[in-house]
Amino acid sequence: MKLEDIARELGLIELTPEVSAGDEAEIERGYASDLLSDVLAHAPEGGVLVTLQVHLNVIAVASHAELAAVIFAGDRRPDEDMRAKAVAEGIALFVSPADTFDIVGRLYAMGIQGTHA
Amino acid sequence: MEHLAYDIRNGDFGGAGAASRDLKQHLKRIGAEPDAVRRAMIAAYEAEMNVVIHTEGGRLEATVSDGQLDVDVVDRGPGIPDVPQAMREGFSTAPSEARALGFGAGMGLPNIERNSDRLRVTSAVGDGTRVSFSIMLRPEAADQGARPSSLSIAAELCRDCRHCLASCPTAAVRVRESRPSVLHHLCIDCTCCIAACDPGALTLLDAPDELAPAADGVLAVPPALLAGFGDHAVETVLEELRGLGFAEVVSVHPYEDELRQGVLELAATSALPAPVISPVCPAVVSLIEVKYPSLVPHLAPLASPWEALQRDLGERDVTYVVSCPSQRTALLAQQPTEQRHTVTPRLVREAMLPRLATRRRVAHHASAPRPQAAGADDLVVVSGVSHVLAVLEQIEDGRLTDVASLEPFICDGGCFGSPLLAEDAYVAAWRWAATAGAAPGEARSHERARPYRPRPGIRLDPDMAVAIRKLAELDAETRALPGKDCGACGAPTCAALAEDIVMERAVRALCPYITAEKESAS
Repeated sequence: MKLEDIARELGLIELTPEVSAGDEAEIERGYASDLLSDVLAHAPEGGVLVTLQVHLNVIAVASHAELAAVIFAGDRRPDEDMRAKAVAEGIALFVSPADTFDIVGRLYAMGIQGTHA
Repeated sequence: MEHLAYDIRNGDFGGAGAASRDLKQHLKRIGAEPDAVRRAMIAAYEAEMNVVIHTEGGRLEATVSDGQLDVDVVDRGPGIPDVPQAMREGFSTAPSEARALGFGAGMGLPNIERNSDRLRVTSAVGDGTRVSFSIMLRPEAADQGARPSSLSIAAELCRDCRHCLASCPTAAVRVRESRPSVLHHLCIDCTCCIAACDPGALTLLDAPDELAPAADGVLAVPPALLAGFGDHAVETVLEELRGLGFAEVVSVHPYEDELRQGVLELAATSALPAPVISPVCPAVVSLIEVKYPSLVPHLAPLASPWEALQRDLGERDVTYVVSCPSQRTALLAQQPTEQRHTVTPRLVREAMLPRLATRRRVAHHASAPRPQAAGADDLVVVSGVSHVLAVLEQIEDGRLTDVASLEPFICDGGCFGSPLLAEDAYVAAWRWAATAGAAPGEARSHERARPYRPRPGIRLDPDMAVAIRKLAELDAETRALPGKDCGACGAPTCAALAEDIVMERAVRALCPYITAEKESAS
């Protein structure tokens, strides 16, 4: 499943079109957590992260864990600083008004699985 | 060999990740395995966050050498009162500010441990914490990484005297920018550089750095420790060791006797080429695997005394007092979960001295004749690195035909001669011989768990065609260097520098003679 398809299906607000537009990479796995050490330890490479945390360290962790995208749940929006950093690191950012549970449920229904599934 | 350093500020949540990100770029450029890069990043980032969250600030220093990344993160306090507790997943003392950002879930150190091939945490309350970890950057290096290293390097203690360079029997040590480092593919975990290092920059890894006896715990000690407390009788020492809180104290010496017997029996059957070499000293075994692979068939396929003892103690909670890095490495390689249970003789000594202060001393140790193993006349005991090298050379050249079996030790005077022990080798050995009857014990001989394997320590490249090309380069580089073996470049010999240049660990300009020539020409 490509990032753009996920964004369309879930009605996500796209914050970094310069990263996600035309990105052909297939997203197969995902992770949901607000503990950044947990993300670092367990998030799948090339996957998508669903989180409530909205600050610069999320981008650092996403970059280290080599994640493709981050979806901020509960309508939380990153500032421009964070957005710029994400663009520089090649990480796509999305916002959803839905809460984590619903976002993950819909991702799962689309065939995106957890790290160890 | 490359050295990187980054300052980390307390509370700088925004800047955190800068060091690990830069390190990542670096590792990618030198072509490290993607998995190794990822693990290195996670470990470095967690270490960085720990400094940001918990400390007054600190510094992350990284050294990239042949196939290995070594990271040292040192902070300025406040220190960790209980390191084992801090290592447990879920334990955290992070302030709410850090928790609000999604840190402080007690996963930092466990995450570092999980992602590194070697981790050491030492801390002094009020002073600061040092987190050192290593990651093998290539799969073949990671293979050897299963073989942990037990040498500790504290670069800040180095006085740049370079005595270590010439001491190393495998030319594994380098000193560059006043920082000693070790080429792990060559290191045999012996005590030579430790003995040469006066300021103590190179020493046995002392993790953990405190004794934590469990109620049903066993303390396993070398005879040299039992006989190493001046004029205190071995019985007294044994008693006080038990008094430290261990249910049982066992000595490794019955396993040494048992191994000797096993080697002599093997030598009598002529199942192995003569002389049969005893694996009593794990450092000599490594030396043979690295430097004399043709002698591997001479090694008796038996467990070393410490390995055999570890097998018999099975699942019990054992604290091993090891007197050299190679013993520690051998124990960890055989049973990796024992990591937290090898301690240095110094640690035990410090705990024992106050206890022994009030104990009665012996005026004179009455000497008792020691029973000799049958056939012991056929055994040549060789100790001291120069003698061991000379004898191994002789065997390799086919010049040692009249010796049936060999018991080689890297340390002068055998295990009694480790530089990590306080008592002189000859005094301790004499005292032990006089009073050994006081420490009875039994032992069984064990087959070797890990087969002997020549280590490709001196191979220039896994691809033979490339290796041949590099050999030609090595030849040319060696000829270009002055051949003075002065050590000024930080390598022990010109040949070692030539190899460093060919393997891209160093550049020719490190040689002061070549640089001087260039300058006078221009």
